[in-house]
Amino acid sequence: MRDSLQIGGIELSSRFFIGTGLFPNPYVQQEAIKASGAQVLTFAIRRINLESTEDDSILQHVQNEYFVYLPNTSGARTADEAIRIARLARASGLSDWVKVEISANERTLLPDPIETLKATEILVKEGFTVLPYITDDPIMCKRLEEAGAAAVMPGAAPIGTGLGILNPYHLGLIVEDAKVPIIVDAGLGSVSDVAQAMELGVSGVLMNTPVAKAKDPVTMAKAMKLAIEAGRLSYLSGRIEKKKYASASSGYEAFKLN
Amino acid sequence: MKLIINGAEREVDGVQTIADVVAHFGLAGKPLVVEADGAVLTAEQWETADVHANMQIELVHFVGGG
Repeated sequence: MRDSLQIGGIELSSRFFIGTGLFPNPYVQQEAIKASGAQVLTFAIRRINLESTEDDSILQHVQNEYFVYLPNTSGARTADEAIRIARLARASGLSDWVKVEISANERTLLPDPIETLKATEILVKEGFTVLPYITDDPIMCKRLEEAGAAAVMPGAAPIGTGLGILNPYHLGLIVEDAKVPIIVDAGLGSVSDVAQAMELGVSGVLMNTPVAKAKDPVTMAKAMKLAIEAGRLSYLSGRIEKKKYASASSGYEAFKLN
Repeated sequence: MKLIINGAEREVDGVQTIADVVAHFGLAGKPLVVEADGAVLTAEQWETADVHANMQIELVHFVGGG
């Protein structure tokens, strides 16, 4: 059975989108990316620190033609700022994909839906492959799809919290209604969260903190990969109905020895 | 020449083009993106993009992120 994921005209070999922040060192990061099997890598754009000659560009460690690069617009508080970051990212020549991420609230880092929609509309017109990070609101997700988003990325919980899926009902509605891939982005913490997301029918997950900050990031990356695959297969297989009372696996005929 | 680079005023001498500025900071050949007075410049444009006093230049690169 062929079960592929297509975004922006690219067929992806993995449903795992992995972030590149917070890893203890470049070696562990590289090994974790390898173990994750992820093809899509996210990263951020920042000013170069001109006081330090040390090279901390992430691309020194991971550059490889196999990967699809998904720069984010983190740090943007408005649509205009996100658009500016997206244009800078594209000028690198590495990718025309962009994860629109616009947060004005530093405590929750929750996305600003109005600015996100505005930025998505403009960047789609400019020819970007746009994957907006958004709250788990079914109406907003639909509006972003209609604006031309290549995939929509609702959060499970605020970034880096590891709280898991706070509103599985909404996520289920979003998936049911979507005509573009839905990628859960942010808030996942463990393999059970990941399996739950995949069982709800999402097309993939984007994670960073739960891998990078695990005690053993490389093994956790592998665990997450397996959870994605298990959850996907479970979703495709169709789980049983929940019942209130027991039903015996071997029927309920009287069992008599004489 | 006084330039405003990454939000801070800097005195940078002996530079005529953006390529010179990039080289001045030892960044030639490294993966970075340049914005000058609000316009994004691809690497091919650096050699021909002249700098002028008080030009606002952003030198950015990719860092780890989710």
